Amino acid sequence: MADYAIETHGLSVYYGRHRGILDVNLRVEKGEVFGFLGPNGAGKTTTQRVLMDIIRPTAGEARMFGRDCQKESVAARDRVGYLPGELSLYDSMKVREFFEMYFSLQRSNNDPGHWRTLSERLQLDTSRRIGQLSRGNKQKVGVVAAFMNKPDLLILDEPTTGLDPLVQQTVMELVREANGAGATVFFSSHILPEVQAVCDRVGIIREGQLVATERVEDLTTQHFKRIRFGFATVPPDNAFTQDGVTVLARDGQGLTLEIHKDLDQVMERAAALGITDIETIPVSLEEIFLAYYGKGNGGRDA
Amino acid sequence: MLRLLLQEFRSRRNAIIGWGIGLCFFPVVYVGLYPSLADQMASFQEIMDLAIYQALGISMASFEGYMASTVTNLVPLILCIYGVINGTGTLAGEEDSGRLELIVALPIPRWQIVTVKAMALGVALLLILAIAAAGAALTLVAIGNQVETTVTPLGLFFNLLAAWPLAMAVGMISLWLGTFSPSRRTAAMLATVVVLASYLGSNLAGMITSLEGIQKIFLFHYYEASAEALKGGQQTGNLLVLLAVALVAFGGAVLFFQIRDLTIGAWPWQRGKIPGPEAGG
Repeated sequence: MADYAIETHGLSVYYGRHRGILDVNLRVEKGEVFGFLGPNGAGKTTTQRVLMDIIRPTAGEARMFGRDCQKESVAARDRVGYLPGELSLYDSMKVREFFEMYFSLQRSNNDPGHWRTLSERLQLDTSRRIGQLSRGNKQKVGVVAAFMNKPDLLILDEPTTGLDPLVQQTVMELVREANGAGATVFFSSHILPEVQAVCDRVGIIREGQLVATERVEDLTTQHFKRIRFGFATVPPDNAFTQDGVTVLARDGQGLTLEIHKDLDQVMERAAALGITDIETIPVSLEEIFLAYYGKGNGGRDA
Repeated sequence: MLRLLLQEFRSRRNAIIGWGIGLCFFPVVYVGLYPSLADQMASFQEIMDLAIYQALGISMASFEGYMASTVTNLVPLILCIYGVINGTGTLAGEEDSGRLELIVALPIPRWQIVTVKAMALGVALLLILAIAAAGAALTLVAIGNQVETTVTPLGLFFNLLAAWPLAMAVGMISLWLGTFSPSRRTAAMLATVVVLASYLGSNLAGMITSLEGIQKIFLFHYYEASAEALKGGQQTGNLLVLLAVALVAFGGAVLFFQIRDLTIGAWPWQRGKIPGPEAGG
């Protein structure tokens, strides 16, 4: 039995001499929801396409449920639902016809009527031709196609792109339900609050390299802290000038700090100044993400 | 796979009807006009002896010559154009548009995808040709008493239908080029060059003694658009050569599609390489 739903070792893809991804080592455990984050061109889609054997790696290997994504590609893709980032469909087909065809092409067919249930939940009219649908409704078609076979692994490339907020919420519910039923979900997204809401772990990819893989709560609680101190007197301007500490705001006797390291030293210094109040400010995944891709500095090193 | 095959047929339905009727119109008009043009044809023969007309395989001295110069000469060429359009559009076009990504992501071997699409293309070519051939044959039935010829409507039908291996060879070469080239546009351009070079080359090589040796490299050499072929039928051996070419090209399409990095748009030799230290990492 394979230990991981997805496993890559030294996975690199070059397009000619242009870097796609470089030495990506990734492990996605069975039954987890894994968010794959990164800006455009970072390598998210490339990684997912290698897993689906749409493109082949220049070096390294990728496995899904222990099966090599290239050497055993058909078996590896069995029980996998895939939603590409650049979705293109057969415009001349009716939605219903497309679903019937797409379902019939799956090797392990679970619940033939599931696409109807999914379509109803997403309020998708299956009697219409795909070419007549709006971008959002086409995206719904892609979502239903990915989920219709109740796969063991869902690989979703920005699944909520083009959807209105209500439908985005429904899609996230589908992700949670699939995960609740035992499916592993590997998805990329630019909407960080939704990643934070559903993911167990995230991987951050920057310029083709995986720079961090952590549990969401670890990332948001351990990566750096934001603390607001209240002091008995106005603290001196140079009270916290040490490396790894940034003063974010001053308000009279209050000071808000972003602390990247040496928290104990900061606490000692604050205690010496006479703390009257202390408040930890939650850091969102979005802020962590922005810290990795910091303005103008090319991002932080992991 | 049956559903995918049905979808392939469905996606070609309009093209089959459109091209079938369009291609049918061509022989119907030419065959139908013959009784009113027959007297004028003999006076054209002197002009038709010019090299340029011979290069294009045009001779109007008899009904058979007229048919060979118009219908059996041009119907296969036009069908080959459809073979190029559809052959390159089938995999390369779908890859360019992004539609192929969802299908390739299914647990289906790539060779099966190519096979289904090749079958659909082959059937489409056959149906279009059959519609055109039926139109020509029925028109000959209608004007039969006004024409002196030994060519029967059924003979004309089968003679045109015998262009299917030629169209199939072109279609499969186009399919293969689509799996090989970076884009559909490039594949279509190369396939068009193959068709035009083959058409003109075959006619020129048949006319110029010094080029006779290379005649066999041209696909159109194996479908004889001549009065003799209309009377005596196409040579089975030639048609088998065309089918063999189609089979080899299909094999090439399977092979190259199997190793192709989809969505990249690159030649096979442009596969990614990890740059060495001298390349700057």
